Amino acid sequence: MTKAEEAGRTTDPYETWRQLYDANERAWSAALEQAMGSPEFGESSGRLLETMLAAQKSARVNMRTYLESMNVPTREDIARLGELVVGIEEKIDQVADRLDAIEDAVRAEPAEPSRPAKPAKPRTPAKPRTRAMPSR
Amino acid sequence: MTTTPSPMWPDPATLWSSNDRALEMARAVLGSVDAPVGLTPKELVWRKNKARLYRYVRSEPATHRTPIFLVLPLINRAYILDLRPGASFVEFLLSEGFDVFLIDWGTPGDEDRAMDVTTLVTRYLPRAAKAIQNATGTDQMTVLGYCIGGTLATCFAALHPEVTRNLVLLTAPLDFSDAGQFGRMTARDIFPIERLTDTFPTVPGQLPDIGTKLLNPMASYVGTYVNLWKRLDDPNFDVQGWQAMYRWVNDSVPFAGAAFRQWIVEFYQENRLARDMLEMDGRPVRLANIRCPVLNVAASRDPIAPRATTSIVTERVGSTDSSEILIEGGHVGIVVGRSASQNLWPRVGAWLSEHD
Repeated sequence: MTKAEEAGRTTDPYETWRQLYDANERAWSAALEQAMGSPEFGESSGRLLETMLAAQKSARVNMRTYLESMNVPTREDIARLGELVVGIEEKIDQVADRLDAIEDAVRAEPAEPSRPAKPAKPRTPAKPRTRAMPSR
Repeated sequence: MTTTPSPMWPDPATLWSSNDRALEMARAVLGSVDAPVGLTPKELVWRKNKARLYRYVRSEPATHRTPIFLVLPLINRAYILDLRPGASFVEFLLSEGFDVFLIDWGTPGDEDRAMDVTTLVTRYLPRAAKAIQNATGTDQMTVLGYCIGGTLATCFAALHPEVTRNLVLLTAPLDFSDAGQFGRMTARDIFPIERLTDTFPTVPGQLPDIGTKLLNPMASYVGTYVNLWKRLDDPNFDVQGWQAMYRWVNDSVPFAGAAFRQWIVEFYQENRLARDMLEMDGRPVRLANIRCPVLNVAASRDPIAPRATTSIVTERVGSTDSSEILIEGGHVGIVVGRSASQNLWPRVGAWLSEHD
């Protein structure tokens, strides 16, 4: 008896499961793909998702109301804090970008030709400063 | 006296052997969460919010002057391109003498609900590219994107042609006029995108994951385990390799709400990129602006990014040097696995060397 024949006679549930899959996989796949490719499936899955989202939203709102009544920060509160941090990081990045641009512009500027030094002005003695006295 | 086994009851020896195999299978599946992945040494070069830019460590200096910037998809973990030693695209690129950088988008939280695709393309990618320029001292780089990462890389290349020396796309969807099953699932009149992003600040990773698995439900939900069952008997079967892949497939990442909304509405439903209607930060994103050499890789059996969604790039870019490689295989199989390492990687490596 060949191995295949031997396997065909087995009553081992695991092996039976494998054989069942091997024998039917193509047909099942084709049927499922056809079903899922249909507009009806698309519409139905859209409605299912919408219902699931409605339930999820309701659960989220209830949880938020409960946490607020317990004076406990909600997920949204913590997310808001996180958003502030992300916003600050973005502003720092923008400042860094500007500094980079200035640095690039300075580097790209051609070096000025050296000009002859101007004769130094004779220094005049500083005038004594007069300070307005507060009137009494 | 000998007893003949009842046809209704299995032989105990066979049953126990099968039980052992079932336990082994359970161990393989359950142990996959700890499968070692992404082991190639790397160093952090730049970070912003959850995103991290890594540079892979080279033991010797790179022999090619153009660094490679890997842009990964938003809904999967970045380690797919560095799955495990011997099955790592990153490892291959390093061995070919390239300087490799990778952006890992990380895991968005509720605070990232307003982060959209535009933000990623205009605020993250240019700064990561600048970090690469600073790290390497070169002005230009090869931008290589996989899946959605390829779409982001294309938008980046269109907005920053001065930085992009080459553009390489691995199964990157760009034209959604015939997006297959995904396109039908996300059609405007049936997919409740507003309600979805209104309910979830970040769309749970399981949702796009279910969508992907429904493209081939038998193979995804049953075939994976049947194949594991069959192969456990094979002494050459690499359980760790299977576990690494299984871990990646099931390790989905949440999608920031605004990014998911923009992805579905502007890309899938309105097909703005292919119709030359996409704008990011007030700037038009046009494929014709891409004038660098382009290599597009498509997979013959890819229901996630069917060939019709990817091929547009070679026809519409402004480059005179654009080519396509069509690989036999699926969406993931072309970047990891034996066919990838023996067929695709050497061809991509050769193309990159020619365009260095």
